[in-house]
Order: sequence, then structure tokens, then C-alpha cells
Amino acid sequence: MGSSIRKAIELILSADPELLNILSTTAKVCLTSSILALVLGVPVGILLGAERFPGRKVLLVLNRTLIGMPPVVCGLLFYMLFSGVGPFRHLHWLFTVKLMILAQVVLITPIIIGVMETFVADTAPALRETARGLGFGRMKEYRLLMNECLYSIFSAYLLSFARAIAEVGAVAMVGGAIAWKTNVMTTAIMMYTNRGSFTLGIALGLILLTLSLLVNIVLSVMQGRLSR
Amino acid sequence: MKKIVSLLLAMIMIFALAACGQSAAPAPAATEAPAAVEEPAAESAPVEEAAPAEEPAPETDALVVDTCILKEADDAMINNYSLLAVNPDAPFVDADGNAVADVELNTVGAAALINWLLSEEGQNLAANYGFEEYGEYLFYLKDGRPVSTAEIPEATEETKHIRLSTTTSVNDSGLLGYLLPIFEEKYGYEVEVYSAGTGKSIANAKMGNADLILVHSKKQEEAFIADGFSYVIDGMETERLNWMYNYFVLCGPSADPAGVKDAADVKAAFKAIADGKFTFISRGDGSGTHTKELSLWPEELGITAEAESFKDYTDWYVSANTGMGACLVMAEEMGAYILTDKATFLTFVANDGVMG
Amino acid sequence: MKTTAFTKTYSRRMVLSLPELTLPEGKITAVIGPNGSGKSTFAKVLSGIEAADGRHPVLSGVSVGYLPQKSFPFRMSTEKNILQNGSDPARAAALMKALGIEALAGQSAKKLSGGETARMALCRILMRRYDLLILDEPTAAMDMESTLAAENCIRAYCAESGCGVLLITHSISQARRLADQIVVLHEGRLIEQGDTERVLSSPREAQTRRFLEFFGV
Repeated sequence: MGSSIRKAIELILSADPELLNILSTTAKVCLTSSILALVLGVPVGILLGAERFPGRKVLLVLNRTLIGMPPVVCGLLFYMLFSGVGPFRHLHWLFTVKLMILAQVVLITPIIIGVMETFVADTAPALRETARGLGFGRMKEYRLLMNECLYSIFSAYLLSFARAIAEVGAVAMVGGAIAWKTNVMTTAIMMYTNRGSFTLGIALGLILLTLSLLVNIVLSVMQGRLSR
Repeated sequence: MKKIVSLLLAMIMIFALAACGQSAAPAPAATEAPAAVEEPAAESAPVEEAAPAEEPAPETDALVVDTCILKEADDAMINNYSLLAVNPDAPFVDADGNAVADVELNTVGAAALINWLLSEEGQNLAANYGFEEYGEYLFYLKDGRPVSTAEIPEATEETKHIRLSTTTSVNDSGLLGYLLPIFEEKYGYEVEVYSAGTGKSIANAKMGNADLILVHSKKQEEAFIADGFSYVIDGMETERLNWMYNYFVLCGPSADPAGVKDAADVKAAFKAIADGKFTFISRGDGSGTHTKELSLWPEELGITAEAESFKDYTDWYVSANTGMGACLVMAEEMGAYILTDKATFLTFVANDGVMG
Repeated sequence: MKTTAFTKTYSRRMVLSLPELTLPEGKITAVIGPNGSGKSTFAKVLSGIEAADGRHPVLSGVSVGYLPQKSFPFRMSTEKNILQNGSDPARAAALMKALGIEALAGQSAKKLSGGETARMALCRILMRRYDLLILDEPTAAMDMESTLAAENCIRAYCAESGCGVLLITHSISQARRLADQIVVLHEGRLIEQGDTERVLSSPREAQTRRFLEFFGV
């Protein structure tokens, strides 16, 4: 294993073109999908947490179910829908980065909604009582609520990004792990390991772990900053 | 939060320690120095330097591969590769079994790629592939193979993307990575290679997700044609364009406890392995290699792709359900017998059993 | 200022049922009563945070400020918290000084202690003029010194702005110090109402007497 790790480090240091391509595809897929999920998930999560309306409980149960959906199931669903014989075949999205992003948005938006809903449901009642007591309008109340949410938005984002980058089932299924086009870090690790070639897998694994470490360091630093 | 961070730190440190510990042992010099020039092939960059014309020399290094070819060039072991263009008017059905008439395929691109692979240029490149790196030819051209002299059109915006569904063993041999860039450069196409076991790769084409397939399982190819999924492209005579082949080889530990080297033929060799209950690694993934292996066991054992069929043989028959390279690593570690295509095996040996 | 009669069903099927009440402007009315007598519910209904049964309005045409028992510190500095409710920094500074939290102006409000948060919250609500200001146990978390400072601020606010103040309190002595009139609640009903001196010295109702005896009055 030691020599494999050394080769992997050499591979990283030599800026291997395939490795770079995999990294840039990964960045494109994960950044886009996590940002889209954030844009969709934060307002929905805040509304679900702050407002009480009929059907809210049903939506929460539905969301929790989606959080638990195995990525391969999501991948299979989109593979069927966008396949050459599927209903959305004319879009030609199968085995493209676009569909990988879509599948990941479906996978991680519920996580963001869940995190936001839990936080807001905890915070909103007390904040609302105070804000209404002061005679503030609805707009100002929501502005203050958003301000409270800053850290949880941030940590929800990192959580969803981490899930996106570590996810393999869905992107392998809808992306096809096509070299130079839709191969991301996790699918490449899987592909190369199946092939019996561990170097690139280890190199990518090291990068993933390092990224995860950085994300967590940023998270714990920002927690102190933002929760003030 | 702090706990997670420290856990991650610990993991990275363990990784680093493992790396240092291992690399410190063989080379007492600097741990980082990538230029271990004096060292045997074992430590050098995987591909470029392993070339010296002779077979990987039997170094007395601990890393040398023990698994070796025990049986090859048997007629039962020929591994035929065929190209099949996917028929745009095939009886495609959706998940509910309803007919789908308007599946869009890039027939022009598929024909262009086929014509190029079967042209003199494409055939020569394929035939010579691997000699420089491994000192052996990996693929052979078939006698009476289809040859194309058709003009190959430049790519247009509509025909640019070609989707090729192929098997892992073709992809892993590096042949496509060698051929396709030349084709793409010359005519402006972009070939997207989807690689999976033959079964999955054909299923992918049946769902309208490939313009052509390159596989090596005659039975499955014929079924594909019989179902109407392939068609004869202009200038060819048949759907199944079988133009090159290589050999499956039966490999195993150099000591050869089952004595397969002395067996009369491959079937006898497989019988010897089964009789002696020597560990055998099966791909177990519905790939062409797996299909071939299943056809070589004595019939009375009744081994098929179904898990049920080998449940009594689990003490020696290992169904790995993974790629060729990973199976070879496993066989090397377990001192097991294994059926593999020669190309992958040579790559494996050239890289000292690490596969890159 | 007059409130209409209303009923409100609250926790554990308790019903708060109150008649019409007059809250004089420029005066402080204290609401006392044992735990669970409906004081806080009364404050919430009056402030409009919770609706009375049948959703009919209890107070109309007046602006109401309400300081809950546990006021929420927004995620910003103490000073910015206070300036959320008015844009006069001089007034904010004066209030903070009066309540002894001027040194905490730049500090994150989330890091304040319970007593400091209570003082910040009081400063915040006193920034603006309301027709009726409802304070739900504003000094419960404060020490004696801060309590007295807070009482001075409330008294001054009431006198300056001429608005009505409704003070919910557990402290009979605070009611005696601050209030012009007292309302006594018991099990969701108004059992006594009158001038502070009169209610505390010669309560008419047996329930009030029992409650006051508890405090050694």
C-alpha cells in the first residue's frame, strides 16, 4: 500500500491531465448542484420551518423520505427517464454533466430543506414573538430570520456539497463514468478499482479526504464567527 | 464538530504514516525522491520504462508477479471482437414495454467510426497496438475480415458526438485510448466511451443510449441481431463485423498445483482445477470473459451465471463480480487460477501486479 | 384606553375570561396573580400575538409594544439590536447607560448573560413610543440594582410619552413601587382591580388576601 500511496502523491504532483479533468468535472458538477440546491432549498426550508399551514406535516414527511432515498434509486429513475427510449429522450441529457447535476440537485435539496426547517422551527417562534412585540412588519421579521439563519445556511451548504462530492450511485448511473466527459472523483475511483488499478483511486481518495478535512476546518472556524 | 476534525486528522496521519513506513523500508535514501532510477522496474513509472524488449525479467524482487500464463492459443480460447452498428429502426421499447419509434441515433457518426476502424489505417494501428509497450501483440486481425475503403465524412454539428458502448476488457486494454484520439483528431468527431460488462453494455444500447457497440460475446451479439437491434451499414455484408481477435489465457500460480500445463486441452485443464478444488477466481459479472469461462467447465458441474448453480463450490469457486484487473489482483494474492484476456494480463504483469 | 371583554382558551384547557378593562394613559397598571393564573396569556392576547377565541379584536386603533418574558437577542451587536427599533443612537446610548450596559454596546448580543439580555431587551423596546406598552416580567432575570434602574426607566418612559404601561410582575414590592393601579388575576378570572395602595392594604377578595399573605403583605 505504501508504494501505491507514493505513486499517488507523485501523480498529484505531476498534474496528470486525466486527474485534472476528473477534478474539474467534479468541481463543475458538485458546485453547480450544491448552489442550485441551496437556491431552491433555503427558501423552502425557511418557509416550512416558519409558517404553519395545512399540508406542512405531509411535506415534511415527504422531505424526510427524499433525504433517505438511496442515490442509486435516484440514478436509476433519471436513467430511465432520459434514456434513448425514455420520455425525455429528445433532450439528449443522458451521460451528460447536466443530468448529473439534476440528479444531485434532487438528492441534496431535501438535505438543505431539512437542515433549514429544523433550525428555523427552533428559532422562528421566539424571534417572531419578539419581532411582533416590537411592532415589526413581516418583511422585517423575515429579514431578521434570514440573519439568524446565516450559519445554518452555511453549514447546510457545506453538508450538501460534501454529500454531492462523496456521492457515487446516481452520478455513475446517469453520467456513465465516461472518461474526459462525465467521470468524477467517486466514479473514477470505482472504475479504476474495478480495473485493479489503485494509484489514481488512492490519489483521488487522498484529495477527497483533504477536501473533507478543509471543509470541516472551515465549518468549525465559521461556526464561531457566524453564530455570534 | 471538533471530534470530526480530529478523526479526519487521525485518518490522514495514519495514511501518511503508512506511506512513510513503507517507502522508508526499501529505499533508505530520501522518502520523496521520485527518481529511483537504479531500482528495478518495480519502482519506476508504470508504462514508459517497462518496455525493454524481453519479457519482464525474473527479478528477485518481492513484487514480481507469480501468476503466469499456463494455457493459451487453444482454439477454444479465441476471443473475437465485433463491431455492431445500432439500428435506428430497432424495436425499442420503454420501461413499460411500449414501442418507441423515434429514438435518435447518430448513424452517420457510427458508420464513420466503423469505416475508419475497418480501414487500412485503423486496422494497422490496432494490429500493432501494444508491441512497443509489452513486447507482444495484443490483438490479431482475423482472416477474411471486413475491410472498408469508404470515404469518411468530416464531423458536422449533428454527427459530432458518437456514443460507443463497449466492454471493460476492451477499454482496460488501452486500445481505444490509443485509437480514438487519432480518429477524433483527423475527422473532428468526439467519441464517448461507455464501458461495462458485455451484458450491461448491450442492455445500454438496447435502451437507445449507444450508436454502436464493440463487444466480444458471439452468443449475445447474435441475440442482439436476431432481436433487430443491429443493421447492415452501407458497404458491409453483415451486421456483426468481427475483425479482430485475441486469446483468452488460463493463468495461475507458477507452481501449478493442478497441473493444467500438462492437460490435453483447456477443458481438461478446467476439469483438473475443479477436481482438485483449487481456488478459481470468476469475473461473475456477466462479461464476455465470464461467459467464456462458464462454457469451459465440465458440464456435470452445472456452473452457470446463476449464484444458485455454484453454491456447493464456494470452497474453491470465487465469484468476484468485478473488473478483470481487480480479479487479477485477487488471483495473485490468493494464488488462484483465473481466465483472462491476454491484453489485460500483459498490462498487469508489466505493472508488477499493481495495475498502474 | 379600553379593552373589550374576551375569552381565551389556553394551556390544559384553562380559560381566560376577562371583562372590559380600562388602561389609563400615562399610568402604569400592574397585573399580579399566582402561576397559571393567565397573566402571560392576557399579555399575548392584548398585544395581538395570540388571538382571542372567535378572533375578535381586543384592542383596536392603538399601537402596542410587547416585551416577552424571554426576549430574543438578534444575531448582531447589542447596540445594533437596540437600533433595530428606532434610529436614534443618542437615545440608545442614554438607555444603555441608564441600564448599565453601555460597555456591552459592541458585543454580540448572543453572548450576553440572562440579566444583560433582559436589560438589552428593555432598552430595545423603550426606543419607540407605543400607545400601550406591555412588559411581561421585565426584571425577572435582573439583580436588585438593575431592577431599580429598569424601574426608573419604565417610570420615565411612561411619564415622557404619556402612554399606558401594563406591567406583569411576580413582585408585589415592584408593583407597589411602580404601579398606579393593580389588576389581580386568579384561575383565568379578574378577581380584583383598584388603586395600588387600596388593593395592597385592604384587599376585598379572600383569594387576593391569601395570595398577598404568601408574600407577607
